[in-house]
Amino acid sequence: MRSILKRFLLRPIPYFFTDIVGVYIARLFSRSLKKELSGKATDEFLELLLRGMDLAFYLSKGYRKNIRDFEGRYLFKTADNLVAASAIFKDGDMEVLEDVIDDWDIMITFKDSEALLAYIFSKDQDILDSILANDVEVEGNLNYIYKFGFMVRDLAHKLGVG
Amino acid sequence: MDKEQQVAIRDLSLEKYDLTKRVSYLKDIYFRAMPEICIERPRIITKFHENSGLFKKKSITILDKARAYRDVLERRTPIVRHSCSYEKGVKKMKRFKFKEAPLFAGSTTSKFKGVPLYPEFLALALWPELWTISKRASNPFHITDNEVKKLNYEIFPHWIENNITELARKRCYEENLKKYGLNKHDPEMKLLERLVIFLASKPNCISHTIPDFSKAIKQGLRQIIKDVKKKKEETSEDSKKEFYTAISEVLEGIITYSKNLAAEAEKLASKERDPVLKKELLDIAEINSHVPEYPARTFREGLTTIWICWIAIHLENPNVGLSLGRLDQVLYNLYRNDIDTNKLTIEQAIELICCLWLKIGDHVPAIPDAGEQLFGGSGSNQAITIGGVDKNGKDVVSDLTYVMLRATELMKLRDPNLNARYYQSEKSRDYLRRLCEVNINTGATPALHNDKAVIKALVHKGETVEQARDYGVIGCVEPGSNGRFYGHTAAILLNLTSALELTLFNGRHRHTGMDLLISTESGDVTTFTTFEEFKAAFEKQTRWLVEQTTNLNNILGRIHQDFYPTPILSAFFEGPMKKGKDLIQGGAMINSSGATIIGLADVADSLSAIQRVVFEERATSFADLLQALESNFEGYEFLQKRLMNPDKTPKYGNENSAADANVSWIVELLDKAFGEKMNYRGGHYRVGYWTMTNHAGFGRLMKALPNGRKAHENFTSGITPVSGVTPYLTKALNSVAKQPVGCLSNGIALNLKYTPEHGNKEKMLDNFVASVEGYFDDANGERDGGMEIQFNITTHDDFVNAVANPEIYKELLVRVSGYTAYFKDLNPQMQKEIIDRTEYLLSTGKARDFAPFPLPK
Repeated sequence: MRSILKRFLLRPIPYFFTDIVGVYIARLFSRSLKKELSGKATDEFLELLLRGMDLAFYLSKGYRKNIRDFEGRYLFKTADNLVAASAIFKDGDMEVLEDVIDDWDIMITFKDSEALLAYIFSKDQDILDSILANDVEVEGNLNYIYKFGFMVRDLAHKLGVG
Repeated sequence: MDKEQQVAIRDLSLEKYDLTKRVSYLKDIYFRAMPEICIERPRIITKFHENSGLFKKKSITILDKARAYRDVLERRTPIVRHSCSYEKGVKKMKRFKFKEAPLFAGSTTSKFKGVPLYPEFLALALWPELWTISKRASNPFHITDNEVKKLNYEIFPHWIENNITELARKRCYEENLKKYGLNKHDPEMKLLERLVIFLASKPNCISHTIPDFSKAIKQGLRQIIKDVKKKKEETSEDSKKEFYTAISEVLEGIITYSKNLAAEAEKLASKERDPVLKKELLDIAEINSHVPEYPARTFREGLTTIWICWIAIHLENPNVGLSLGRLDQVLYNLYRNDIDTNKLTIEQAIELICCLWLKIGDHVPAIPDAGEQLFGGSGSNQAITIGGVDKNGKDVVSDLTYVMLRATELMKLRDPNLNARYYQSEKSRDYLRRLCEVNINTGATPALHNDKAVIKALVHKGETVEQARDYGVIGCVEPGSNGRFYGHTAAILLNLTSALELTLFNGRHRHTGMDLLISTESGDVTTFTTFEEFKAAFEKQTRWLVEQTTNLNNILGRIHQDFYPTPILSAFFEGPMKKGKDLIQGGAMINSSGATIIGLADVADSLSAIQRVVFEERATSFADLLQALESNFEGYEFLQKRLMNPDKTPKYGNENSAADANVSWIVELLDKAFGEKMNYRGGHYRVGYWTMTNHAGFGRLMKALPNGRKAHENFTSGITPVSGVTPYLTKALNSVAKQPVGCLSNGIALNLKYTPEHGNKEKMLDNFVASVEGYFDDANGERDGGMEIQFNITTHDDFVNAVANPEIYKELLVRVSGYTAYFKDLNPQMQKEIIDRTEYLLSTGKARDFAPFPLPK
């Protein structure tokens, strides 16, 4: 239902308005997201972040260009499996799941929820930093996480917070 | 006919020659300019791969690659003169313009000081920081928004599944699926990605070797093309035919690139109003339309041949320790001819060398922010070798050697990394004195190599005496026979303290967590009753690591063979052209792979501490020692003091037989363990002891050690004894000089710091020369003598001030552990390591006492 809503209600926005309007709406959303995030548990936080990203893909044509022709399956989780979220990119779309997917391209296991937050809030989402700190164990193709890192930064860049 | 090499100049220092106006101007721009990311090569190469369907192929042939590189060489913009760059601004980098007039055209990238990207290797690691890389604190690179977009949308996505690391991971999956039936199982890659056990260079490059330019200079590329065509006609083997066709393709590409430069120079000349500049542009046009296609007729044409071929090699491979070899030998005939016929003066020769040195440093490696923590401040480590003996054992130090030394002394550049060979004899004393003088004047260069010991080490590994005598220095300090040795000398960088860690904790590693069995169990050390038992456990862990690292290196090597043939590098090697076989398929005359070891002295001293304190004197139990390590010596201060005290616990570097014997035991163990392994090209592994900045990087990650070193402190560089525990210079030198050179064939870096004694320079020089002579001496065959030595000669105060005021000390050159670097570019941990190194006052031969430098914030 959510995805149908997105497809029919949100996707047309950038066609009627310029990308600047889309980015403006995303910026408004990001402010409320920031408010929303304070005090949230890590599992909700991760999901919210991914959903925020998902929304930005709908609102900004420029940002959506990042996932045109891109296919990738990401699994983020903590070592104790208490926090998990998956992101699937396909057909120019992003899907966020609260579940663990099996057929991932990359699985990023954070030592604990603090390590996850440290990665998400780091200035460059530089996975190498997290690996150096032994905060994370990565299985699979690292290039996917490099691309993910860019997309997070690109969003921040577009929202004027990076 | 080759001219006899001789020293005809009277003043070896050539001190009356200074930087010319042209070179001073170029040098000024060079230091102002910030590195800029260049996307020209990745753009062309990605397009070519896409259009030719190479991304979908299961393997890529040498001909595919040759056509790709020819395309890059022919399509890239021929830049004769750069006109702008970026410099540091208040908030962000700002553009500045200049009018340079170098004597050589062309550059390795499209920028004045470029950062070349190779998406085939590790460029994608920069992806997350593309928007912020120009603002990062450590070594920022300029990049335009448009370039970010091109990389993000048009270039990087194609390589997600196709770079060397990913191809290797898939190969690991396939091999493990066959072997164990396990899906997505890649233990070797996993071990690499833990970053604390070892590093591997193959995901980053095919490099660390020396091509041979003498054929290109003497015969020209056109003649080589004719030769390969003939070879192609003569062979019936398809693979050889393909190889020779590939060589022709790339050589044609190189010729076209040079001619494009010539045409551009002519175009610029037609617009130039200044008659002097116009003439210079026309000279460039004339030279580049002649070489490298045809034999070089002059010294300048010889240098241009090398430069154009060097650019081409960069377009194929990331430059990580690609080295230029014995340039004073290769160019001597042309130099002598020009001098004898008055076509060239010494001043002009120095100016030409200075211009070439600047060109060689026209790019910096692309290192992600996290990589800066391990490798921060590294250049490309392009070694140039001067001096030494020829194939017949004759000392061939010549006027040109001194010209290159003078240019190096005047320029004080990070790249190229100058290495001087020295053959001990009465006659060569003046040469050694000059080498020491240049070290004092530059503060850090050249590194000195002992011919007798190095040749012995190489012969021990099976090289002929003639091959060994013609060695050049690769990357940091690694010796390899010029143009016939492919040794990928930095294939494996092994953190030896991890072997110790796995021994102490029975296959576990404190950095990755004690619940995880990383390697194999070697026994609970608290149950050991003898030191021999401990050594056996250490040997087991070390051999396990050697097995894993060589396995992975071989997998990566086979990926190179399947996806990254190297026609350009092969064209400049002796073996491939004869065998009709790519360098990475084993085409070189001598094939080996190199490992270098990080943490030798820390591990050896830890072994000595365990031997003395736990087993001999039983002053503490192993359980207590482990507890002390766990608590980072908190509550165990007395024990730590004892472990650090060279009077109570044997330390390498004090001529203590037990401590030095532990070092010898380790180097023999590693030489044997690695030496038994075959690489993917049918050669063996060689071991060396030079650490670049990894002793600081790995040190940052590792916890406390039994030698008294506390958690996260630096390890010791190269083969150098631990800082602060070797009070006497002579003893320190003798401990190193007695190690068996046959086990050190991949090179060593002995890093020493001497206090500058400006008040009495001549006396300092006398002592300096004597220290090197004593260290190199083989004591009438009782020992091998030291192989290599390198120096930092800057006052402690200057180093400390340079941390606080980097802009004032932007040209402060230092020896790290192998290569040279600008002190300001090093990460704080590495700066601290250099400041804390043992510093000797030559006039007393004793170490000076300084308080440890606090880690800069």
